This record gives sequence, structure tokens and C-alpha cells, in this order.
Amino acid sequence: MLFFSFFKTLVGQEVTVELKNDISIRGTLKSVDQFLNIKLENISVVEEIKYPHLSAVKSVFIRGSTVRFVHLPATQVDTALLQDATRREAAQAGGKAKLG
Amino acid sequence: MASPSEPGNRPDEPLDLVRLCLDEIVFVKLRGDRELKGRLHAYDSHCNVVLGEVEETIYKFEEDDEDAEPVTIKKQSEMLFVRGDSVVLISPNPPS
Amino acid sequence: MENGDNEARDPSGFLSAIIGAPVTVKLNSGVVYKGELQSVDGYMNIALEQTREYVNGRVLRTYGDAFIRGNNVMYISAD
Repeated sequence: MLFFSFFKTLVGQEVTVELKNDISIRGTLKSVDQFLNIKLENISVVEEIKYPHLSAVKSVFIRGSTVRFVHLPATQVDTALLQDATRREAAQAGGKAKLG
Repeated sequence: MASPSEPGNRPDEPLDLVRLCLDEIVFVKLRGDRELKGRLHAYDSHCNVVLGEVEETIYKFEEDDEDAEPVTIKKQSEMLFVRGDSVVLISPNPPS
Repeated sequence: MENGDNEARDPSGFLSAIIGAPVTVKLNSGVVYKGELQSVDGYMNIALEQTREYVNGRVLRTYGDAFIRGNNVMYISAD
């Protein structure tokens, strides 16, 4: 749930989603769900010349599993808070994957 | 050394290594001949991560010549979420 | 329920028995890691110490510690 919550704090921000097929889509983060599927609005495709087939599209739903990276605005990320939340999540998840 | 089967003691599990890297510079090897170096701000059990001050290195291999040196491409990113399914390896220190 | 008799039938018994030992880990990509096995979990996530990375049989890099995501693992072998 850590990254689901994290992405919810970024709704409304400009992000660039880099897909595993190398296409990068920039847009406003509209919503996110528990699978980290992502809705973007007012999109533009980086390297539009190379990928002209998306130039008429205004908004997209991206299946989470196709995402490689999401480039984020650093000013909108509270890194101390993120690290604390990560430690809490690690303490909860700890040992669940243990052997046998 | 605590053994992982010791009762009562929280077992030493692989992800503990990643936990100890929080707020440190880490090296991340990804699928598709890509590598990242950056400060680790977050991770979860899927190996989703958030890195700051990231340098990405992409190795592009020429298709016809397997022995040729790959072309390397470097990219910078101020804050990057990486989906865990692309992750192969995470190391606390830059490799030598 | 610990190691003992179960070891023959239960792979996790083998894995906990070789903690601390030098191992070879081969990934699906063909890359090989040799190092001392620090820990393993049920996903076959692995922590190695003093790790050497082999690509096409040549040492490419070394890592003090390395976490390897389990889905990439083809096998773990005790050296």
C-alpha cells in the first residue's frame, strides 16, 4: 500500500511515465489504483515524431504492469516522510516471506 | 550470527539489506541492460523503489556484432519511481 | 519441522542449510553471481556478500553486498 498512498499524494502533479516499450508519456496525474494503474490527462508524447499514433489522444489509462519508470517532480516529494513510511511498511511486512 | 530459523528472533531476510540502504546511494541493476545510481528514499516487498538524484545508464548492443563494445547512454532524473518487476539487483555500494 | 529429515523433500531445508556458505546463483539472463549466502526468503530473493558478477564467464564487477530479486533466479548451488 506504500506506493499506492504515495502516488495518491501526487495527484494533480505533472509526471512522465516511461513504459517498458520505451514510449514516454508526460501528463497530469489524474488517478491511481492499488495496482498502480495510472490515469494521465493533457498528455504529450516525448519524441512525438517517433510515436505519432498517440498525438490525437488527450488522456490515457496506463496498465501498471507496463510501466518501467515514473519521473516525478522532486519538489513535490517529502523524502523524509517517504523513508519513515518505508520503515513502517518494512516492519509490518518483515518475515512474511520467510522460508518454510 | 542469528540463524534464520531461530525462534523469537526476527529472521535476517534479504530485504533487510535494502532497508539498511535507506537514504544512501544505491546501485540498481534492471532488466534490459539498464542501471541506476541514486539515493534510496522508498521501497516495498515488490522492489518498487523511489530514487533521488538518479543517473541512469543504458547499454545498447549492436545487433550484428556481439563482441563490439555497447554504446552507453546516460540520463539524469531528479526523482524516479521504478516498478519492481524490472529490478534484478540492488547493492548498497557502487560496484567496483 | 526444522531441517533434519525433511531436507530430502523440502528445498527450503536445503536453502537454510547453506546459509553462510559460498554459493553460485545463476539468473535466467545467464548472468552468474558467486558469493557468500547471507539470506534467502520464500520468493527466492537472495542476499549475498563478497559477490562477483560473471558475464560470459568473465568477472564483470564485484559487490560488497548484493540483493537479488527472486524472480530472476534460475538456480542456487552450494559450491
